[in-house]
Amino acid sequence: MAAKRSPGASMVLRALGMRVLVIDPDPARAALVAEGLEGVHPLEVRRSARFDEREAVEFAPDVVVIAAESPDRDTLESLREASQSNPRPVVMFVDRSEPGLAEQAVRAGVAAYVVDGLAPARVRPILDVAMSRFALTQQLRGDLAKVKADLEARKTVERAKGLLMKERGLDEDGAYRLLRKLAMDRGKPIGAVAADLLAFAGVLKGDAS
Amino acid sequence: MSGLADLKLGFIPLTDCAPLVVAKSMGFFAEEGLDVSLSREASWATIRDKVAVGALDGAHMLAPMALAAAAGASGGLTLDVGPSLIAPMALNRNGSAITVSKALAEAIRAADPQAMAEQPVSARALAKVIGERAGQGAAPLTFAVVFPYSMHNYELRYWLAQAGIDPDHDVRLVVTPPPRMVEQMRAGEIDGFCVGAPWNAVAEREGLGEIVITASTFWPGGPDKVFGVTEAWAHHYPDELRAALRALIRASAWADDAVNREDLIALLARPEHVGVAPEALARALTDEIVFHRDGAGVPRREHALWFLSQMVRWGQVSAGADLEAAADAVYRPDMFRAAALSAGPMLDPAQVFADAPGDLAPLFAGPAFDSDRAGPYATAFSIGRARA
Repeated sequence: MAAKRSPGASMVLRALGMRVLVIDPDPARAALVAEGLEGVHPLEVRRSARFDEREAVEFAPDVVVIAAESPDRDTLESLREASQSNPRPVVMFVDRSEPGLAEQAVRAGVAAYVVDGLAPARVRPILDVAMSRFALTQQLRGDLAKVKADLEARKTVERAKGLLMKERGLDEDGAYRLLRKLAMDRGKPIGAVAADLLAFAGVLKGDAS
Repeated sequence: MSGLADLKLGFIPLTDCAPLVVAKSMGFFAEEGLDVSLSREASWATIRDKVAVGALDGAHMLAPMALAAAAGASGGLTLDVGPSLIAPMALNRNGSAITVSKALAEAIRAADPQAMAEQPVSARALAKVIGERAGQGAAPLTFAVVFPYSMHNYELRYWLAQAGIDPDHDVRLVVTPPPRMVEQMRAGEIDGFCVGAPWNAVAEREGLGEIVITASTFWPGGPDKVFGVTEAWAHHYPDELRAALRALIRASAWADDAVNREDLIALLARPEHVGVAPEALARALTDEIVFHRDGAGVPRREHALWFLSQMVRWGQVSAGADLEAAADAVYRPDMFRAAALSAGPMLDPAQVFADAPGDLAPLFAGPAFDSDRAGPYATAFSIGRARA
């Protein structure tokens, strides 16, 4: 895992500061987080007894810290579900009375679980790891989405080429050149032009009304 | 002694945790040689994560939560690549309901005096209220469900959309844990919710809300919770799983039996279980929730496919996903049957094989659900977010 860690995470924290939202009825955990992040400037640690969506949106935290046993977890999870564009890394504290959960979670690849009762000095590296892991996951998700979109666009271009070859009697190369010219004339990506072409061909054939 | 392992099972304080609570309290687990401890959990996410990492051996679960990962849904705050969950038994049918606040119920009646009297109550009058509010520039109404992957989310969305209300645009949908629904309605933070028993009845008894439609009207005999374990656990502990399922089947039959109703209510009312007034528990246990009869324990493939169709409808899962493969990977009627048949004559064979295709009751409205065509069904609705 260490090899995959983004090397710049700590640098980024130092340069831009950090906003941490701690969801906990007990102020102790927020105090611990603040103590552990001493030296990060500017630093804002805000504690709420309960997760409030409006407050979270307004505060825009870099990371959310919550107890694993908090009833607010389902709400937090649903927000990630709904706002794929703006998710936040979440660090979860596990009560010490749940021995083994954190270890098992880490083994299962859930680094965001942390055993409670840790020394302030460990807070910073844990949040660092959570944030860089999160950034990595987001990047992988983004890459995957892009690969899928590229593949889809390529398929569309192939189909549009086929259509032009059939309807205009062009060879493959000629069909591609025509598509590329259309794309350049319209200032649009070739995939978009191909999709338009297919859509219009469908309308002319009566596929859609 | 059988030498079987000690088990730790999780539950959420809801009426349909009954099979677990009964199996423990009535000694059915013990008679199977299992030393079970029950752990009351605070959120569905905690249940899922603890089962996935092995901190719990099994749990009371939202069926769609178990299906989500197999279908490639994006959900899962912590476990992006977790062990796969399976559902070897259904814990109940029916049980949830949609409740609106007193104020909203009055607004609905004012908009259409007949609306609340007709059965089933449709959301048409609610659509009028929403339209009027939009015209006045009022904030959208807020409705709560218990989890993005839940019967409750799909039930509320379906009911709203059936009346032309787009659940993603015309109202604000939020997630709230079941025990908090009532207090949030009292605080005026939510105007309505869809949650499992007993929380709808609690809101009504406290004079805060009115139940507009129960699951048994929405979809008679429709699916709800399951007993969930990881596939790896089922593989390593087949004897424990069979023993646990036998105890749960016995507990379900006990919980269904009207003779035991008072005892069941008293058991669930205890603070370490659901912890609400016995009267609130009684409501859904009378002619609403089914634990055992009509083969309620069989995790039916058709039910899994309906859940998956709703995940596609609302864009949680891509329309290209292999729904049948996901349903078969998670729903394991074979394990249920193996356990039920090993229980001997206790179980009427009809209860074990009561999932012949084609005998599903229809939903209260909307296109007929054909489980062989779950994909086309998912995209047949005029309101939906299906994505390629």
